[in-house]
Amino acid sequence: MGKLGKKARKFAKKNLQSVLKRKRKLKSMFKKKSSRGEQDAADDQLQDETNLLNGRNLEGEDIEGTSLDSIFSEDDSDVAGDDSDSDGFLSEDSSCMYVPQSENGNLLEDNGGGSALLVQNREIHLELAKKKKKLDRLKEKDPEFSKFLESYHKGLEELRNDENYSDEDEESDLNMQSMNEDSLNLKNAKLLTNSAIDSWCKIVGEQHNISALPSLLNGYRAACHYGTSSTSAVDAAASSYSIQNSETFCNILMFMLREADNIFRGLLGISCSSCRKETILDLKNTAKWKSLKPMVKSYLRSTLFLLNQVTDSEILAFSLTRLRASIIFFSAFPSLLRRLIKIAVHLWATGGGTVSSCAFLIIQDVALIFSSDCFDTCLIKTYKAFIAHSKFVKPGFYKHIQFLRNSFVELCSLDVEKSSKKALVSMQQLAKILQQGLRTRKKEAIEKICSWQYTNCIDLWVMFISANISDNSLQHLLFMIIQVINGVAYLFPGPRYLPLRLKTIQWLNHLSSSSGVFIPVASLVLDTLEYKIGKESGQPGKAFNISSAIKLPKHCLKSRKFQEECILSAIELLTVHFGQWSYHISFPELASIPLIRLRKFHETTIENLRHVVKRLIDQVLHLDSLA
Amino acid sequence: MGMMGKERGMGKKKKRQKIILPPELPPEIPEDEVEVSDEDLQFFDENRDYAGFVSTLDTHSITRRRQAEKQKEESALQVDPVDALPVKTLDGELYYRTAPKKPKDSENAADKNEADGEDGNEGVDKSIVKLTKAERRAKLKKSKKEAKKQGKELDKTEDVQQTPQAAVLAEVKEDLTAEETFESKKRKLAELGMALLADPEANIKTLKEMLQISKDDDQAIVKLALLSLLAVFKDIIPGYRIRLPTEKELEMTVSKEVKKKRYYESTLLSTYKAYLQKLMALERQASFQHVVVRCICTLLDAVPHFNFRESLLAAVIKNISSSDDVVRKLCCATVKSLFTDDGKHGGEATVEAVQLIADHVKAHDCQLHPDSIEVFMYLTFDEDLGRPENPNEDNKVKNKKNKKRKNHGESGELQERDRKKNRQELVTKMREEVNADFRAASFAPDVKERRRMQSEALSAVFETYFRILKHSMRKISVRSEENGSSLPGASGNHPLLVPCLIGLGKFSHLIDLDFMGDLMNCLRKLACGSSNSDGSCNKLLTVSERLRCCIVAFKVMRNNLEALNVDLQEFFVQLYNLIIEYRPGRDQGEVLAEALKIMLCDDRQHDMQKAAAFIKRLATFSLCFGCAESMAALVTLKHLLQKNVKCRHLLENDAGGGSVLGSIVKYQPYASDPGQSGALASVLWELNLLSKHYHPAVSTMASNVSGMSAGHNQVYLAKVSPQQAFADLSLEHESFINPKNIVMKSNHKRKRGSGSSGAASINPTPDTATPIDEDGLKKKLSEHFTLLHDIKENERLRGELDRVTLSLQVYKEHKNQKKREHASKPKKNTEKTAS
Repeated sequence: MGKLGKKARKFAKKNLQSVLKRKRKLKSMFKKKSSRGEQDAADDQLQDETNLLNGRNLEGEDIEGTSLDSIFSEDDSDVAGDDSDSDGFLSEDSSCMYVPQSENGNLLEDNGGGSALLVQNREIHLELAKKKKKLDRLKEKDPEFSKFLESYHKGLEELRNDENYSDEDEESDLNMQSMNEDSLNLKNAKLLTNSAIDSWCKIVGEQHNISALPSLLNGYRAACHYGTSSTSAVDAAASSYSIQNSETFCNILMFMLREADNIFRGLLGISCSSCRKETILDLKNTAKWKSLKPMVKSYLRSTLFLLNQVTDSEILAFSLTRLRASIIFFSAFPSLLRRLIKIAVHLWATGGGTVSSCAFLIIQDVALIFSSDCFDTCLIKTYKAFIAHSKFVKPGFYKHIQFLRNSFVELCSLDVEKSSKKALVSMQQLAKILQQGLRTRKKEAIEKICSWQYTNCIDLWVMFISANISDNSLQHLLFMIIQVINGVAYLFPGPRYLPLRLKTIQWLNHLSSSSGVFIPVASLVLDTLEYKIGKESGQPGKAFNISSAIKLPKHCLKSRKFQEECILSAIELLTVHFGQWSYHISFPELASIPLIRLRKFHETTIENLRHVVKRLIDQVLHLDSLA
Repeated sequence: MGMMGKERGMGKKKKRQKIILPPELPPEIPEDEVEVSDEDLQFFDENRDYAGFVSTLDTHSITRRRQAEKQKEESALQVDPVDALPVKTLDGELYYRTAPKKPKDSENAADKNEADGEDGNEGVDKSIVKLTKAERRAKLKKSKKEAKKQGKELDKTEDVQQTPQAAVLAEVKEDLTAEETFESKKRKLAELGMALLADPEANIKTLKEMLQISKDDDQAIVKLALLSLLAVFKDIIPGYRIRLPTEKELEMTVSKEVKKKRYYESTLLSTYKAYLQKLMALERQASFQHVVVRCICTLLDAVPHFNFRESLLAAVIKNISSSDDVVRKLCCATVKSLFTDDGKHGGEATVEAVQLIADHVKAHDCQLHPDSIEVFMYLTFDEDLGRPENPNEDNKVKNKKNKKRKNHGESGELQERDRKKNRQELVTKMREEVNADFRAASFAPDVKERRRMQSEALSAVFETYFRILKHSMRKISVRSEENGSSLPGASGNHPLLVPCLIGLGKFSHLIDLDFMGDLMNCLRKLACGSSNSDGSCNKLLTVSERLRCCIVAFKVMRNNLEALNVDLQEFFVQLYNLIIEYRPGRDQGEVLAEALKIMLCDDRQHDMQKAAAFIKRLATFSLCFGCAESMAALVTLKHLLQKNVKCRHLLENDAGGGSVLGSIVKYQPYASDPGQSGALASVLWELNLLSKHYHPAVSTMASNVSGMSAGHNQVYLAKVSPQQAFADLSLEHESFINPKNIVMKSNHKRKRGSGSSGAASINPTPDTATPIDEDGLKKKLSEHFTLLHDIKENERLRGELDRVTLSLQVYKEHKNQKKREHASKPKKNTEKTAS
């Protein structure tokens, strides 16, 4: 192509569409060949090992730039390579082509909705008509002008062509095409009507005849790609379908999403419940699979594309659940699988509500079914997504973060051994940052620790460890995380860090109760009682939510609410700690120092909170006397 | 070689024709120095054709030019090489920046020199170097010659420069000259300094010149001058103190040598004095403070033996508690080096410094930076020197080695101690002999003199310490009288207390017995925190400070072999209560560990009730605090258990533990007196819980301790001290990644099946089971579709609209063109469209 002259190229583009297409396909094949399936895994391994090494000899090392994001750096570039093979057009069996009747309803009148866009469209339409009229009049009046105009346009086009051809990229060709043949497409494309789809559905669904399946899939593909600006023209030209109206659109999407999985399974003879990837791999060499493979691929790819296009949560959730049903088919298409993981992780992290949970189910399934190759990828991707999304926690967002954390822990629990390796690397990172903070007490390091990202990361691993504590290999992780938490508590003693302090104690309590080891938290708790706040203003102060902050603003400290919060949460946490060991023989001893301090505090505290403290003291004494 | 020279000359000529000189010329070789070798001449002769151009050279102009340059270089003494290059003016003319100015300057100077005589020009032009007569004369000649030549050139250039830019140029020149003078002064300083260093005897006069420069208006120059003078003085000040000759001595006739020497010394001394005066004057100015303090400190450090040490010392001590970190650190470091490097000044400076610090503390009512007292830690006192009159008492004075040995032997019997005493006596005798030999060999100051100085220094040190203690006490009593309520941040009121206590601990063996009782009383009161009972008053001193008081009291007692009959019981009570006052973030764990070590581990046998009470309290303590504190407590606990065999009954879980022995039947955990706690009646259940401690070291230690039994009387001593244990486990030191744990145990394979995702309950609304509202979905889908459709339509319409409007615009253009075409040839239209 490079050697062809400009004119020849132009000609080829205009008239030899099929040749071009084949060429493109070939190109993408090459790209795929060089795609880095195995390389990835190796890279990952290497990365982990170097991380480990770094962890080992970090003693004297200057670790200025450690951030939580930088861990597990892996290339995402492979995805870009995958995107190029977005050619899912299937050749059709023309015999069962349903010839559409002329049921052209004007779409603009089709729905009476008064959306803003619609109004705007109408206005533009009117203006266009007016201007066109004017132009026509001018043309009629002055035939010389029409000639001039034509030549002008040609010149303009040529100019543009020159620009575009200057680089030999395929993309520019596509753009050109889309520009030039915009109008052409509209005429050429076959109009996809409701009745056609109904009949196809009938053929495929009831008669189990696959002859209509390619057309159906192409239609589905067109529907999925509908409205996308960059590639629409090409695809429309390729599939030569245009969607007639919304009903058609709904029909084809619903049918395909609902039935495609069943149809494929029926055709391949896989039972509905089977979800082992071996079933597909076994089928790989059969003729049946070979014939169906492009169709399956087209379906999957179109659905993935749809996921990228749609923003509505219901549609997303539905398509995700359907995609999950046919997850085993992905085993034949590793590149699609990677894309699936990427999309699912993205939706998991950003979607919220049902979409997130559906997406997570997909991730979980992928991790389970393709555990050998994909578990690590899933883990790393989800971890990174979690870390990236835990930078800021708004009050409403907290629940979502919790969901993300819990689901991630669930994912980790699928393979504790593999995930504890990752946990180790991540926790070493945490420890490194903390050590830096402890040693230098520099502002940046301190700020890095007192951040949502850091605390959420600790939270994540605390949950993971306490969920899988029965696994022996986690013992050293347990020790490490406790040390890190203690370090954090030690680093931030002030009253402004009350939320962080409460968090650390909660973590320690949680770890202690799940693992059964003894973690002394009494002094950490009692410190919160003795915060020197200075003169108490006595005003109720502004309401603040302790769970949605790490560091409190200064003005909070003098409010009564803050003091109440201090005392109540301290007592709550102390109760948890005592509760855990209340049956232990050394409980009286455990409680004796806290009791001394509580009594002292009881004498000095304000009236309305005194009874809470008093009650705790009484309870503990009661337990003491029982012992 | 000769050819090279010629060629260079030729290159010069060519360059000159272009009037551009290269920025960097190879080092100039004067014409006369160039030797034309025979070979070169021969070569020249043989290739006369090639070298023909040489003969055509305008030799005259070349040589003239070169001479001029040479002279310029000589005369412009301190011209920077860069400045020697020509400057291109705005109109492309080249001129030498230095050329028009320098010679004039020197001319002026020369004239003035002639007119004013010796020192006349000093006030007028400070930058001018005073030259010896011969030099001056030579220079004058040169500059006159120069001036003539330059005058010619200047005329030329001035002709050209009769332009409006002249004003601007003048300004630029002014700027440049300011820069120039700075440069020249700098160079001068350097030259003078170098000369002085090279031969101080000959150039001693130039010191005054340097001092003159330091009176400059430019601050930068002043600083430079001060620092260069510092370097010079540091180098040339002799290793003895200069004593100026008395009048009588002056009257005597002396040899030339001596005269010269006297002159040298007196000049040196007078300039040094002037320099110091200058420094002291400048010290008050904030902008000079850093430089001046640096100078003073360096001088004091380098030449403490020399004259005027007193003023230097006074200045240093004045700044020792400066709020400026840099200044304070410098002063402290200087004083430290004075203290440690006794030999340089024979100890006099030490005494003076100590006394000055003592006065300083007194003057400021103990409100100084802790650093100012901390320097005392670097004092060394020769113990044998201290009290040689009564060698019998020497036994009481332990040096470090003996102390250590004694500490270990404490658990031993009296017999053992006696034996040790004998040995110690032997050792001290030996040391005395050695010292005597050493003193004989080295010509250190007289022993008596040294003794006097040392006792003076000591008394000043202890005076300061006691002053601080008394001050803290006074504060407390005043506070407790005024108001009983706590004052936040009260600990900041005794900035000097901590270094004072540390120092007392260190020098406790040197305290006079007469003060001992007083001191112990003080310490006891301070350790209590206040005279009247518990409560808020305690907060006047921090827990760390009170712990330190206890530590010091014990050190004092130990170092004086418990010669005093002072009851230390109260300190134990304090410690017993302070243990639970301890807060990890607020107080220093190291101090607590030290207190545990000194008071519990090192002390001789305790009363059993007390030991049991401490054991119990330490065990309880370690249940509430972090691993480092726990570990320190456990180590101490183990120590106590090892020493007090009977206390091991606490480890038995019989009913009532070891209650047989105690007078109090039930354990009172809240008692504040260890003797009254009845701890012997309790059981160390804490160890059971501690063996579940998350930290492996703590849990092993706990199970280790609980494994000790009453029956066995193992006499192994733990090697780890509480301090060591604390340091090992404290968060700053510990690497979080335990190296031994890093190896993953991969033998433990465990995978969960797909079905067992038991945590599914976590998901808020999960699972496929949720029925999907198809109608709703359809509606959503159709909405999605219409949206997409509308967008697409919008795009299309806009595109078309653009096209049409463009066409309409084109029509206008077309019309215009037509008009033009009608005006000219109608043919052109077709041509244009074709293109």
